[in-house]
Amino acid sequence: MIEIDGTYGEGGGQILRTSLALSLVTGKPFTIKNIRGNRKRTGLLRQHFTAVNAAKEIGQANVEEFFMGSETLCFAPSTIQPGDYRFSVGSAGSAMLVFQTILPALMLADGPSQLTLEGGTHNPWAPPFNFVESAFLLCLNSMGPKVAMKLERYGFYPAGGGSFDVSITPSTKMGKLNLMNRGSLVCTKVLAQVANIPQSIAEREALILARKLNVSTENVVVENLTNSVGPGNIASVMVESEFSTEVFVGFGEHGVSAERVAKRLASEVNSYLIADVAVGQHLADQLLIPMALGKGGEFTSVKPTLHTETNIEVIKEFLDVDIRIKQLNEKAWSIKVALA
Amino acid sequence: MKKKIVIGLLGTILDSGTSRKRWEKWRPTVSIGQFDDFLVDRFEILHTRDSNRLAHCVRDDLAFVSPESELNLHTVDFNDPWDFEEVYGRLYDFAKAYPFDPENEEYYLHITTGTHVAQICLFLLSESRIVPGSLIQTSPQSRNRTGEAGTYRIIDLDLSQYSKIHERFNRQTRDDVDFLKSGIATRNKRFNEMIEEIEHVALRSNSPLLLLGPTGAGKSQLANRIHALKKTHNTVDGSFVEVNCATLRGDQAMAMIFGHTKGAFTGAVNAREGLMKRADQGILFLDEIGELDLDVQAMLLRALETGHFLPVGSDQESTSHFQLIAGTNQDLSKRVQEGLFRHDLLARINLWTFLLPGLAERPEDIEPNINFEMEQFEQNHGQQVRFARDAQKRFLSFSTSNEALWSGNFRDLNACVTRMATLSSGGVIDSATVEAEIQRLHKTWIELGSPPKPSVAKKHIVDEDMWLSLDLFDQIQLRQVLKVCKESRSLSDAGRKLFEKSRLQKQSSNDSDRLRKYLAKFDITWKDIEAVRSA
Repeated sequence: MIEIDGTYGEGGGQILRTSLALSLVTGKPFTIKNIRGNRKRTGLLRQHFTAVNAAKEIGQANVEEFFMGSETLCFAPSTIQPGDYRFSVGSAGSAMLVFQTILPALMLADGPSQLTLEGGTHNPWAPPFNFVESAFLLCLNSMGPKVAMKLERYGFYPAGGGSFDVSITPSTKMGKLNLMNRGSLVCTKVLAQVANIPQSIAEREALILARKLNVSTENVVVENLTNSVGPGNIASVMVESEFSTEVFVGFGEHGVSAERVAKRLASEVNSYLIADVAVGQHLADQLLIPMALGKGGEFTSVKPTLHTETNIEVIKEFLDVDIRIKQLNEKAWSIKVALA
Repeated sequence: MKKKIVIGLLGTILDSGTSRKRWEKWRPTVSIGQFDDFLVDRFEILHTRDSNRLAHCVRDDLAFVSPESELNLHTVDFNDPWDFEEVYGRLYDFAKAYPFDPENEEYYLHITTGTHVAQICLFLLSESRIVPGSLIQTSPQSRNRTGEAGTYRIIDLDLSQYSKIHERFNRQTRDDVDFLKSGIATRNKRFNEMIEEIEHVALRSNSPLLLLGPTGAGKSQLANRIHALKKTHNTVDGSFVEVNCATLRGDQAMAMIFGHTKGAFTGAVNAREGLMKRADQGILFLDEIGELDLDVQAMLLRALETGHFLPVGSDQESTSHFQLIAGTNQDLSKRVQEGLFRHDLLARINLWTFLLPGLAERPEDIEPNINFEMEQFEQNHGQQVRFARDAQKRFLSFSTSNEALWSGNFRDLNACVTRMATLSSGGVIDSATVEAEIQRLHKTWIELGSPPKPSVAKKHIVDEDMWLSLDLFDQIQLRQVLKVCKESRSLSDAGRKLFEKSRLQKQSSNDSDRLRKYLAKFDITWKDIEAVRSA
């Protein structure tokens, strides 16, 4: 039985999600104690509850100590059941994180799956939909599986209520991912969106981003969303290079001006551009599991976060892999996943 | 895990908003669906017919933020949401019809929405366990983080779960009981139990209380303390009015109690309102109620039952709502048989009856009462008084013996302590003062017509030194045993009486032997007892 300590590293929900995902794939049961041990409110919150529930259903797992607020969990999967599923997360918790939990098992399953996921689609503290769709899936699909997503309704914090469909055609043989070099810049696109709040906010963000990142007008889009329950605002920058695509997202919030949101985002994009690496910090995080489940590989990225380091440790608990971080220069690092 | 069910009223103001802007404000009912650590399995939302549209909007929004929850709307119509009777009635009906299943479900009453009257009703329903659940109170996020869920608190009204509150209740009851006893740490079990019962009744009831007991047993003092206790608990507004009915005769009694108009009778120069009117919203203490004339009794009964009475000479009824405390030393049922007391009045006042034992029946309480009287003397005279050690021993031994009749009860004790304290030299009561006081008490009790009983427990039967070496516990037991012996024909007769129960249960076959052995422990033989009896 694998034993996981939820206070390790950044000590949040990712430890639980990575454990669930890899337990499903490997069939190895695990126990976790001190779930979200470093958070102010420890234990299972609603979005984690839904994630465990989804994992339980897909893996026909036996779960002990499973209740709201629980700080320990015993998870033992049996067989993966691909198929049609619908999972909902309340309280604007991220549906993306539920997706992240069950995707590895379904992309390696012995049949296709069709998912409908409801809840938050664009939360500041989870990978937003357009990042997953445009940046992550591009890399993932290059490794073998065919995963496609379609957004039906936006779910912004705090109203939530978003919805998206996912179709997964699994691949039994996951390939290798090598992204040492993003190649030359093809184009940069800016997308500023609002829902149920004045469009001028998106216009101001677009203006600043275009100026700071030197984006030509035909690549700047301002959108007034109608398919959202609650109010919301995001600004996204897509950086398309010869060998990779990265997406950066900034969130509008109450009490923070549109200009400030745009400037913050622009500087995040700029540090990626200056570092001259293939993968940003969030994408680096997402790619580790598929690489470890496939044939490994290597990519260049910005300085790894505590989140990434924690993720690596949990992966090593389940899989016999060697993951090495190497600093290349002042701004660039490389992460190499090697199968034992 | 039990399912969580939230029951709440739709807030026509706090939950309002059907436009797109509604997500930018805090809506308490919707917020419950947004808490990331509180998963509601079912919502039961009560709303009026007028707010049908809003109710559907809130329900649909809850479906977005809490897709896990089942959502039910209920129409509950209030004509006036501030009418307590109506709101409580409607909510009560809802609760009574609701299929509560506390074994599998937990209920939370949301009290943030609805009028204050509705909140009070929900509170009452929860507190009375008609709704077997807790309260949930939601609050908006501070600062301007609009549209966010804010915070919630769960309040369980089951007070027994709060040990601190429980402890305070107990302490309050102890304080109240102490208060009724004027802070005297009495030791007599029966007396203490009675005071606890009086505390209980006094704070919960405005029905008449009947205090029985010999003169000086403290009826008036107790009635006064009951009033003061009720006053501190805000269960009485008016004053404490007290009269000894034995001092009232004829017309004067009527006029005194019920008041009179100007010129109602000879000497009625001015109108007077009477004691009953003065006791309005307060307490009327009628001591020696058995002494009241029958016509006064009739009027009193009517006043008790209706709050109305007729002042002497008036054709205009007056009203007074008072609690009656009656005191008597007489056997009122006997007075009823003799035709001197109204049967219906007795029935009316004989609801909460308490028998205050005389001082002689509470020998273990004499010492704390002496201390109390000494403290009172000190407070009134500003002079410290204490007993010399031997003198105290002697006085206690006397005062708890059968020799001390205490026929005037606390009045006697008070007078005797006052006398000794006054006669003390330099604040010390010495043996000479005590001896003189004992003689004085004997004299008083003889003059009052009841000769001192020959000492049973002392001098003649038990050696004094031996008596004083005994614990109070043994003294009390021995005194009673000797009393029974004295009243019995023979050792075996006394043994039969004393060990009747164990004989019936066949636990002891030889009563006389058992008694003989007990007496032998104190160097007493049956002969000693016979000697005293014939003396």
